[in-house]
Amino acid sequence: MDMNVKKKLGLKERYHLMTRDLAWDATYQKEEEIYPQLAYEGIKIHDWDKWEDPFRLTVDAYWKYQAEKERKLYAIIDAFAQNNGHLTVTDARYVNALKLWLNGITPLEYEAHKGYARLGREFKGVGASVACQMQSIDELRHAQTQIHAMSNYNRFYNGLDDWHHKADRMWYYSVPKSFFEDALSAGPFEFITAISFSFEYVLTNLLFVPFVSGAAYNGDMAAMTFGFSAQSDESRHMTLGLEVIKFMLEQDPQNVPIVQGWIDKWCWRGVRLLTLVGMMQDYMLPKRVMSWKEAWEIYFEGNGMALFNDLARYGIKVPECVEQVRKEKEHITHQAWLTFNSANFLTNFHTWIPSKEELDWLDAKYPDTFPKYYRPRFEYFQKLEDEGKPFFTAGLPRVCQLCQIPVFYTEPDDPTQLAYEEGTYMGEKFQFCSTFCHKIFDNEPEKFVQSWIPPHQIFQGNCFPEGTNPTVEGFDPIRNVAAYYDIEWGRENGPFVGSEDQKNFAKWRDQTTKN
Amino acid sequence: MQVDLQTIALKPLRNTFKHIEKRFGDKVASRYQEATYDLQPTDNFHYRPTWDPTREIHDVGRTKIVLKDWYVLKDPRQFYYGTYTQARARQQDAIEKSFDFIEERGLENSLNAEVKAIALKTLMPLRHVAWGANMNNNMMAAYAYGTALNQACTYASFDHLGIAQYLTRLGLALGDVDSLKAGKASWETDADWQPLRQFVEETLITRDVMELFVAQNFALDGLLYPLVYKEAVDGVWAVKSGPTIGMMTVFMADWQAETAKWVDAVLKAAAAESPENKALLSEWASAWAQKAKAALVPVSKIALGVEADAALADVSFALQERAKKIGIELNF
Amino acid sequence: MAVAAVSEYKFASRDSLDKFHGNQLLFVGWDKHLMFYGTAAFPLPPSMKFSDLFVGPLAQYYGAHPDFAKIDWSAVTWLSGNQPFKPDYDKSLAENGIGHKDCLRFQTPGLDGLFGICF
Repeated sequence: MDMNVKKKLGLKERYHLMTRDLAWDATYQKEEEIYPQLAYEGIKIHDWDKWEDPFRLTVDAYWKYQAEKERKLYAIIDAFAQNNGHLTVTDARYVNALKLWLNGITPLEYEAHKGYARLGREFKGVGASVACQMQSIDELRHAQTQIHAMSNYNRFYNGLDDWHHKADRMWYYSVPKSFFEDALSAGPFEFITAISFSFEYVLTNLLFVPFVSGAAYNGDMAAMTFGFSAQSDESRHMTLGLEVIKFMLEQDPQNVPIVQGWIDKWCWRGVRLLTLVGMMQDYMLPKRVMSWKEAWEIYFEGNGMALFNDLARYGIKVPECVEQVRKEKEHITHQAWLTFNSANFLTNFHTWIPSKEELDWLDAKYPDTFPKYYRPRFEYFQKLEDEGKPFFTAGLPRVCQLCQIPVFYTEPDDPTQLAYEEGTYMGEKFQFCSTFCHKIFDNEPEKFVQSWIPPHQIFQGNCFPEGTNPTVEGFDPIRNVAAYYDIEWGRENGPFVGSEDQKNFAKWRDQTTKN
Repeated sequence: MQVDLQTIALKPLRNTFKHIEKRFGDKVASRYQEATYDLQPTDNFHYRPTWDPTREIHDVGRTKIVLKDWYVLKDPRQFYYGTYTQARARQQDAIEKSFDFIEERGLENSLNAEVKAIALKTLMPLRHVAWGANMNNNMMAAYAYGTALNQACTYASFDHLGIAQYLTRLGLALGDVDSLKAGKASWETDADWQPLRQFVEETLITRDVMELFVAQNFALDGLLYPLVYKEAVDGVWAVKSGPTIGMMTVFMADWQAETAKWVDAVLKAAAAESPENKALLSEWASAWAQKAKAALVPVSKIALGVEADAALADVSFALQERAKKIGIELNF
Repeated sequence: MAVAAVSEYKFASRDSLDKFHGNQLLFVGWDKHLMFYGTAAFPLPPSMKFSDLFVGPLAQYYGAHPDFAKIDWSAVTWLSGNQPFKPDYDKSLAENGIGHKDCLRFQTPGLDGLFGICF
């Protein structure tokens, strides 16, 4: 019997046979009809074959490794539910961080799944397509495992049950929603720059570390296990981000300014979005991991800048906004929490004024700004609360047309001065929080005039339940907006102190510890 | 005697998420339900997509099929990510053992030489058909409305890539890199393969999500898979050469049966909703099945020789039976 | 067309004046009073008399601050679009040339908020 001596295949060659060799050049249909989204952004790809696979995972290996992780994860989620695991958290205030996550982030995981599915189809290079397909299914995994990890919390705490309805309507969820829809509505090359590079590579630790480490520090086994289970997925995503940026920059020098523009835009948009995450890590974790300022210094000013050194050889520059971000890191989380605390009648999570010990921690972490500018404010509001006259904002705010965050931001060099930036387009005035948001608007005004800005929608009468008549005597706009949001008034909104969450947690803790 | 374990049972405030409760009532929901229903955002989209300015980022208008609720297209297999990957991992484990079994014993060398040659000739170009199927299911995953359908199409696209890779592995086991090259050359230039390649390329420019679903998942795969894996691999080839090739392609055989359940459930639900849907699906199924069958004639001859016509007739009849159960008219 | 797209990409502004049922949007900020996290937004009729702002919307939004009751409106300075602005208190918003989504800032020198930090 003849034994054929087969050529031994290297890993790279074998993977090519498993992926890029599957495609062929179509001859019965025009390439631009099969791939209609590749030309319009102006990015030039001359040779998709120059793509270097960021990771080599065949489908069968993917199934095997991921299934193993799923088995372990769900075993823990099941045990967590069976054993009343939610009672092991540091205190029930922590659950409010999960409300922000499930309502604000989980829908974005699904949208990422959709975005990468599109890229899987619309990218011509098989290597790029397969990497995007793997990310697409990973993001679906994240959306679903987050829902499942938090499902048990939903049974016992308020504010987690209605994320589908709330995420599309509430005034602060429009911040993550508009962020991701900006990416989804963009072309494939902008999408992958925005999400794979700016978000999944440059900024990823600034989202992941606060939430997942926050879970670990606060006794939340379910969310923590999700996070650790997702870590190797995130590593793949990071390598894709790095490869795609190098690939585009190497394919044609004329891609460089286009990509630079996207890097500038999405780093800024990403940092603005992360205001909410920074706020969560400074204020909503009873056992804090690190301050936003520390996280920014480690993960961006340290690691992130090293990356830009790498890209300098292509002509890529550090985004201009980093200087402003550096100054703002001392302020934005405090400004954000003060905002939510004075508007918690219209949120589906609770807020509270930090305790003395927590104020001391903030003093220590932000020595140049917190003692002077922010502690006095919290102490003033605490005094009013103690007197039974809590302070609430009595109206709706001016919001940035681009990032859609209420403009609580101050001038980078003057923390006593709110930021006032405005512009005009086609005779209509638009308000911004910064020159950076303004610039993004000016580059694509036809896109951003479409923004669905919650206070403006409220004032147009679009945020009341169907059939509401706002002209009747005694019309209460806030209660009617709350009805449109479907807020369970007095249950899921308002301060933590006195909430059902607080009472139940204490009662259940007693039930499981006392006789 | 039962061991009666005691746990502390706290009284929950609610059983599930609001949107799940609206659909199924106030009771504990399944993992599939919680992971699938109403996961896709539906309201107040900010910006129109630059890649399709006439529609929203999620839009029911990417197909002519009209449904009051796109979640009627639920997956009878109830695959969410966890159950999907775990099901496939079990299959992968069994297939891995099969490949090991074959390779350790050198069984690929004791295959009937004629069958081996026919197998390579038939199966290698199908790597590219599978890539087209991956692209198409990806398109559906990207543009389908509602998580019920989009999610299942994601899994289908992954399955097709997995199939393409199993075929590649088979080619390397029964032949070598040159066998793959020859298969690609056939796909690109042999007269026998051009009708099928033309079919596949036509699907690649079909942008109605449900029409593409019919063309790829019902018409083409509904004929191709039984033809190759049942009639040829487990039929004519096995008679001559034993089960070796069937062991290497068992995923494809099992997968077709499982996937057909999902495909049929989707089409049945869509057809049942309105006479307009039924008419559209019938029209698409008939047109695409006709093209698929014609494209498969030369392929069936490569695979089955004199048995080709009978085999094609058999699988066509089986597709008709499926159409009857689905509730659409299939004429081809 | 600045936005790269596969076909024409042009849409009506979501917040054009015609969508506010006869009102226009006006933003009015009180400089150096950061007790209020942001700048107030109001839907107001263009025919509204300027000084009606003081006892109406501004009192509603800013009234909780101890400084508010002490404001001498005749001594207040104004900016519109970050530029010096001298509104006629007896005229309407429209007559004062205040347009849809304009942003005014008022300054109350001597009333600089609490704790020396413009709170």
